[in-house]
Order: sequence, then C-alpha cells, then structure tokens
Amino acid sequence: MSTCINIRPLSSRFSTTAAVGLSIALVFTATWNTHALADETCMSPYMAKIVGQEDYVYVWTLGTVGVGDEQDKLVTVDVNPNSSNYGRVVHSLSVGGRNEAHHSGFTDDRRFLWAAGLDTSKIFIFDVHSDPAKPKLYKVITDFVAQSGGVVGPHTTYALPGRMMITGLSNNQDHGGRTGLVEYTNEGDYIVTHWMPTDDKLGGAKKSGQFADGYGYDIRALPRRNVMITSSFTGWNNYMMDLGKLMGDAEAMKRFGNTVVVWDLHTRKPKKVLDVPGSPLEIRCAWGSFHNYCFTTTALTSKIWLIYEDDNGDWQAKDVADIGDPKQLPLPVDISISADDKTLWVDTWNDGKTRLFDISDPFAPKQVYEQRIGGQVNMLSQSWDGKRVYFTSSLLANWDKKEGEDLQFFKAYRWDGKALTHAFSIDFTAEDLGRPHQMRFGSHALYGQAHPSLITRTAAQPH
Amino acid sequence: MRSLFIPIFALAASPAAAHLGDERASPDEPPQVQAPGEGLFHYSAPPPGTYSLPPLKPAGNGAVLTSEGVRTSLHDLYRGKIVLLSLIYTSCSDASGCPLASAVLRQVQRRLGLEAETGDKVMLLSLSFDPQRDRPEVMRRYGAAFAGNTPKWRFLTAGSESDLAPILANYGQSVIKERDTQGNFLGTFSHVLRVFLIDAALRVRNIYSASFLHVDTLVNDVKTLMLEQAGSPPPGRRLQGAGDEKSGYESPAYRTRSRSLQNRTGRRADLLAHANAPILGLPAVPAAADNALTSAKIALGRKLFFDRRLSHNNTFSCAMCHIPEQGFTSNELATAVGVEGRTVRRNSPSLYNVAYMRSLFHDGRETTLEHQVWGPLLARNEMANPSIGFVIEKLKRMPDYDGLFERAFAGRVASVESVGMAIASYERTLRSGGSAFDRWHYGKDQQALSDRERRGFALFTGKARCNVCHLIDKEFALFTDNRFHNTGIGYAAATGKASGQRDVLIAPGLYLELDADVVADASEPRPSDLGRYEITQDPADRWKYKTPSLRNVALTAPYMHDGSLRALRDVVEYYNRGGIPNEGLDPLIRPLTLSHGEIDVRRTHRRRAELIRVSRRRGSGAGFRCAVVGLPFEER
Repeated sequence: MSTCINIRPLSSRFSTTAAVGLSIALVFTATWNTHALADETCMSPYMAKIVGQEDYVYVWTLGTVGVGDEQDKLVTVDVNPNSSNYGRVVHSLSVGGRNEAHHSGFTDDRRFLWAAGLDTSKIFIFDVHSDPAKPKLYKVITDFVAQSGGVVGPHTTYALPGRMMITGLSNNQDHGGRTGLVEYTNEGDYIVTHWMPTDDKLGGAKKSGQFADGYGYDIRALPRRNVMITSSFTGWNNYMMDLGKLMGDAEAMKRFGNTVVVWDLHTRKPKKVLDVPGSPLEIRCAWGSFHNYCFTTTALTSKIWLIYEDDNGDWQAKDVADIGDPKQLPLPVDISISADDKTLWVDTWNDGKTRLFDISDPFAPKQVYEQRIGGQVNMLSQSWDGKRVYFTSSLLANWDKKEGEDLQFFKAYRWDGKALTHAFSIDFTAEDLGRPHQMRFGSHALYGQAHPSLITRTAAQPH
Repeated sequence: MRSLFIPIFALAASPAAAHLGDERASPDEPPQVQAPGEGLFHYSAPPPGTYSLPPLKPAGNGAVLTSEGVRTSLHDLYRGKIVLLSLIYTSCSDASGCPLASAVLRQVQRRLGLEAETGDKVMLLSLSFDPQRDRPEVMRRYGAAFAGNTPKWRFLTAGSESDLAPILANYGQSVIKERDTQGNFLGTFSHVLRVFLIDAALRVRNIYSASFLHVDTLVNDVKTLMLEQAGSPPPGRRLQGAGDEKSGYESPAYRTRSRSLQNRTGRRADLLAHANAPILGLPAVPAAADNALTSAKIALGRKLFFDRRLSHNNTFSCAMCHIPEQGFTSNELATAVGVEGRTVRRNSPSLYNVAYMRSLFHDGRETTLEHQVWGPLLARNEMANPSIGFVIEKLKRMPDYDGLFERAFAGRVASVESVGMAIASYERTLRSGGSAFDRWHYGKDQQALSDRERRGFALFTGKARCNVCHLIDKEFALFTDNRFHNTGIGYAAATGKASGQRDVLIAPGLYLELDADVVADASEPRPSDLGRYEITQDPADRWKYKTPSLRNVALTAPYMHDGSLRALRDVVEYYNRGGIPNEGLDPLIRPLTLSHGEIDVRRTHRRRAELIRVSRRRGSGAGFRCAVVGLPFEER
C-alpha cells in the first residue's frame, strides 16, 4: 500500500526536477491559491473543484464481446490511499449495450457525470453526488441524433454554466466527419445545435488557411478571453472501422480533420478556422491569468500544436514540437497540462508510452521524460498537484490492439518530479470489466460527506 | 389572317383588356390592372434555381402535323428540349384566352432569345384544338412572324379530331364546341386556357392558366429547369457528391470545399410519377410480380429506407451506406462498414436504376429487390438484426408506423413480405436517365455531346469495347449485361502478398511510408472474397462479380466490387492493361492499346479525355435530384 497519503507542501513538488534538466519553480497561480487542493487539471474552469485527495476515479468503460457481461459500464475505482478499498474496483454499473463508450464530463455543479457513446449517440447521465462511491444512472438521452438535427457521435461533454456543451464527431447523413456542437441544459434538455463552419456556411468565421472541414472532436473554453476552441477528428465510418482496414482505405484516410476553430464563447459564433493538419484531438488550455494559449496534439502527424492569441489579439496555430518519431505513427492521444502550465503529459497509443514535455516556453516544448505504460495507452488524468497520474488503455473498440501483452488496464502512478512510480494496476480483462477509457475524479468531500471506508491513519497505518 | 392576328396581340397588351383582369380594384383607385400575363404581380417572381418544380405527370404523346404539313409526334418534337406547350385555336377572340397565351409566349420568346445559351434548349409549341379549320397552312400563317426567331416556336395542328382526342385527354384539356340553340357549331370553343411546361425527360413540370400566366414566371421556370438539366443545382444547394469534397487531397495545395449539412432540405419528390414517367434512354420499370407501385408503398419504403431504427442498435439505416448525395453509394469508403463498425467486404453498390437489375449484390445472390432487402437487415456485419421477427415486432411497436403498412398493403400488417415490398417499391423509383448522352444518342440532339464526348463514345463502342459488357440497346441503355466477370481484381486481392510497406495519406499532401506491422496488432485479418463462386460453388465462378451499370458513374466512386480503384481514369487504365492475368480471367478482357490521349490527356483538369468524358456525362441530374428532394427523412 502506498504511503503517499498527504498532499505535500507545494514548494517541494518539483524540487528535484533540475536533475532532468528542468528549471521548474512552482508558480502559484491564482487558481491554485484559490483551490489549493487536488483535482485533475483538464476540466472546465467553470467546474467545482475537489477539496482534498480524490477518493474515486470513475472509469467509463467500453463493453467487450467475450468479457463479462459485454456491456458498457461505469467502473468506480477507489484511489484514496487512506481507504480500506484503495486500489480496488468498488462499484460497476452496466448500462446496456455497447455504445462505444468514450468521453465523459461533469456538469458545472459536479453533481452529474455525463458519459457519451460514440456509436449509439446515447448519453448516460450518472448521479455521482448522492453516493459518490456508487454512482446511479439518473437519465439516458436516447434521441440526441434527432434532437440535434442529425449530429452523431457525442464526444466531449463540457461544463458551461448551467449547461453542457457537447461536441459531435459525425452526422446521420453520411457518417462522415461534418458535425456540430450541441447544447443541453444540466437537466438534460436539448437547447440548440451550432454547426461546425463549412466552406459554404462559415457562419461569419474567417477561413484563415486552406481548410474549413466542419469536423469536430474536443472543446475547451477560456472564459477570460471569451473564447472557445474546438478540434477535429473523423466521422463514424472511420472511428468505428477496423484500424487496419482504415489505413488501407485511401478514400477513408482523406476523412480526418485538419482544423481548429476559435469561437466566440458568448455568442457561440465561430470566429476563425485555423489549419492544423493531421487530426488535432484533445485541447488543454493554460491556467495562468496571462497565458492566452492552449495545446493540442495531432494524431496522425504526431505534433504538438500551440493555439495562441498573438499580440494583436488574433488567434493563431503553430506546430511547436514533434512527439516521438512521427514516421512510426506513435498516435498521440490524451494530453494533460499541469496546473502551473509548466509541463504537458502526452500519451502515445501505439507505442504504449507517456511522455512529459517542458512547456515553460510554450513555443518550444521539450521532452524531458518518457515511460512505457503498457501494450497500448490512451487516457491519462493527473491530480491538481501533479503527484498522482492515472492511465487507461483503450482507444476505440475497433482500433484497439487485438494481440499483445498488457492491453486493457487502469494504472495508478505517483510522480515525484523525476519519475513515475507504479502504485497499482487493475487488469480490466481479467476483472471481466471491458476496456477502460475516460477517467473522472470523485470525492465525498465535494458534497460535504464523509468517506465511509476511511482508515484512521494513526490506528491503521502509522508513519 | 395575319391582319386579324396583330390586332389581337395589341388588344391583349393594351389597357383595354383591364376588365378581364383583376376585379378587386376599388372604384377609388385608378385602374392599374392588365391582363395577368402582361401586367404586374404583387410579388417578384422567385429567382431561377431557388425553388424546385416537382414533376406533375408524364407529358402525353400524340400525332400532330407541323405547319409544313409533316406528320410527327409530340414526343419527337419535345425530345431533349424544355417545352412550353400552349393549346389554342387561331380564331379564338377571347382576350384572356388563346390570344393572351400567344402574347405571353411572344414575350417569353423575346426574353429567352436575348440569352445565348437558351436558344437550342427551349422550344415553344402552339397546338390547335380546331383541326377542321386550323389546317397546317393556317398555322403557318398564324405563326409566320415568330417561327423564325430563337428559341424556336412551332405551330402545330392535329390531322383529325380522332388524332386530337387522346392529346386533349392526356393533358386534361377540356374543349367544348359552343353551339346555338339548334345545335349548330358557332365556331368558338369553351375552354380553360392551359400552357404546359415540359422538361427534357418528357414530364409536365408546371401548368399555367390565365391567372398565373406571367412572362416572368414562365421565364424563371424555364431557367430553373435549365439549371437542373445543366446539373448545376440551385445556388447554395449543391447536393451532389460527398459533402466534404476531398478531391485533390493528395496535394499540399488542397483546399476544402465542404458543404453544410443543413443543405439537405427540400420538398419531397413525387416518386410514383417519376417511376412512371417516360425517361429518355430508360425502359419502363419492369412490373414486379404482386407488388405494383403505389404512392403509399413508396412513401412507406422511403420512410423505412431512412430509418436508423431498422438496425439492431438504432445506428444504421439503408441510407447510411446508400447515401443519396453520393450516388446512392458511399464516396467516402472503399468497402462498407456495418453495425458497431463491423467490416463489410465489398463496396456499397449504387441503387440508381436498380429496378432493372436481374440480380442483386455483387455476387448476384438475390434475384428480387423484395428478397434482397432482408440481406442487409439480417447480416451480422451490416444492420445486424437478430431475426426477422425482431424487426417486425419492433416496427409494430413504433407509433409513427401506425396504420402505414395497413394502408399500403390492403389491411395487412408489417410482415416479412410487406417490409420487402415497401422498400423495394421505393428503390424501384430511383431511376436515372435522360442524360446528355441520352439526348444525343436517343434524342438525336447533335448538340447534347461535345466533340470530345462523341469521340469518347466512339472509343467506348469501338476500340475500347466497353459496350461488350456495358450494353447499349436500341431503345435504351442500362450499361450492364447483368452477367458476372472475372476482371482479375478479386483474384489479385485474394492471392496477392501484402506489401511490406504502404504509403498512407495522413494529411493533405502528406504521405507516411508505414511498415505493414506498425498497425498489425490492431488489424483484423483481411476477409477472403471469392465472388460469384461463393453462391454457385462452381470453380469457374471464382472472383467473378456482376457488371455494374455505368449510369451516373461519375457519382459512384470509388469503383470495382471492392472500391479499390479511386477514379474513372484508374478503371480505364486498368482495363487498358488487360486486367490482371489469372486462370479465370474473362476472355473479353485483354489489353486495349489505348493511347494516353485516348485515356486521359493529363494536360489540365478541365480538358478530360474522351473516354472518361463520355462516362462522366452518363449521369442525370433529374433522377438524382428527384430522389434527394424527398429528404430529409425523420429519423430517431
């Protein structure tokens, strides 16, 4: 069992990073001082923060034929080292069917977790506040496609005040990549669809380069700049298809996104379409008050891109670093920015590695650390203090590796500024769970509740 | 007669006709009404191409005499043209009747005559329903002042009352001879003024009467049909092709030309009329045993075709693989993908003109559409329904299907038969002909194809021998022999060794040379495909696949049963090489010795080579649009 229990004084956090050639002095950002405690670093700025150590990681898990009950499920892992259940699956809630479970996100009040299915376009809304140890299925949105006017493949469920902004990946006309953003109230009622800008309907956006493909993927907001940023992946045809078949289909390979769109957050109008070729996926915006930039990585071209506001207040895109050897198609997937905007974790699915980049100069990220996590790796989440990093393995049902070792897992690591130390793993195949995807943190303290399984330190685990 | 004719026109154009027009003018207002055809509308006529004119019914045929006394038929005159047909008699003196029609047509002729491109595409016809008095010589004199202008205006009459009767019946023109109390013919006819707009596919697209006969309306309607014929859809509403057009993606200079998803709107087409309409170059739809086409069946079939709930997990409709905008196939995939992303081995076949196919699927394993429908519905890697009963019971539970089967099938509820019959009925309406090729080949319109296209046709039927399998018959062309051939494509895929490396396009103009093993762990084994053999178990049928029609071939890329050839040029080059040699290679396939110039001059993109050009023109905007106008369909 871990002895890494208490949050250490902040000043010690990166105290030994010089050893790996870094010069990271912890900067106390306004956000940090305000919240001061742990949370993952990639969530909506509108969202309530966990106070204290996260108790649970909710793992939105893809059902797999031949594994357990073959259904998608929300798996709750106890990650509080003070808990008697530390390192164990404490709850699993099957939702029926395989929906291509992918991303999930809390409402701004963090009472509900919205978890979307890229295949069936269903959205499962879990009540995580009544009993954070046992999420309940509160509501299922089954008419997302019809309500939205034809958006297929709800992906990111992103908290805005009182509402959820949902990115689509596809559409019900051709299952290609053109799609839209769809807004729902926190109660699960449809509000409006904002179509991604296309050449014939830019919606007032400036097409700044060669591309305006209308594709979607992730979304992040920078409220202080009144900006929303979206990225672009590919449509249902491609994300559902066998990866080998896809790579051999020349027409299908042309259907990947090459754009990042900058939106007016308040009016929801697209302002500028930026060329970011090679399918930009996750977007992570800096937290610093004067850090008017976000990062994304391109899946196919294996680059880190900086999306930034220039001195004239205009938004630009620039490729600032390679990730691994792009010729070997490492396929960067999830990324996670540190709370101090100094480092960026980048997972590359194909080689199963995670890499840490020093981004203190956002225009010149440098890789400072690399570690193989498993046979493949996809999502990662780090605590707000950066000391705990969690990884899961699954990318997409038909892209995941079919052969190899150590393919479907949840793994917890500790980061001491120099190296990742393995804390525990859960083999999701052996546990008959399926394929783990996105992780979100849960906590009793958020709702003023006591953790039911907490061990009294002095009694159970003296220092 | 001519002296009489001119004053009548003058009358129609003068304020003297005011009393015949708008009666709403109050005494307080200065009269400003004119004969409707001449005067003001309370609105501007909608601009050409901003609306659609759904086909109303087939334009009837009938024997007529030209003003030179030559016997011909209406269809022979119509062919390949947009026609305004006016039914008149020359001694008519009702200013809101025949003279009005002629006055409006005179202005239409003048207006269209100012526009160079309309000249040979439009024709005006005035046909007399008074064959006794309006002999050809009378008609010649009546029209003498206008017959020589552009667009052409022809003045026709019937040879006899008995020749005339079916024409009047076809067009719904009621004509009653006015008689005195003794029953003597007064020389006048009681009739409702009718002018018909007829498209190049011989369908009535609009019917005008006195209150609606306005020069602006007619001119804009004609232009709307011309835009449709030219294959250029209304501005901002271009629907054809993949919505995110990716041609040129191989080049770093690629620029997107994406189109909004919101473009798929429009009025539903009358598909029954389209199914029954004469279409140049196509035979009539073969009658299906026990499944006569009706509007109710077609409408139900269309609803089913676009309904995602027809798949096991509600993610797939027929239209997700047979996408209307993409030639009723998918331009975005070489081979299809089914429920949960499951691999389908073959390219989605286009549904254009599927009514004429003698067998279905690339391997021809089904022979009727009614049966074929159930193949994809039940295939585990397509729509994945667990059973027939599952589909039927699900349909019975859907409130929006309440009564639809019963209405379409004389009280019968949803069943294995009626689901097949309804979808088959919809699919039979997806006819497409009347293309530039048809107007040239069957319509004898010499202008319909360019010189290069005609040279392409000469190669198609000559040196390249394409027409040996892609048949062109005397009266129609389906461009298929409905038979199975081994072209070598299937053989090569089945027996070829996967190369160690392949170039993968990862962004516009950016290729990655990938070792085959880079994604090997994430790839399923390639499924085998033996073609027609899988059905017949006859070794001679290994790697044989059905000859596809070439109609709308420009809309149905990528090509071959496995979608392995991306462009028409690749296909022509493949056959020029003589296919891929193998034991079963069809003897019809051998090197063609076509020169580069004959295949494709790569000088510029605009100047396509002969053979390709003629293939590309084999499409038809009309059929395509007709099918798409039926959208969007409600989906859940």
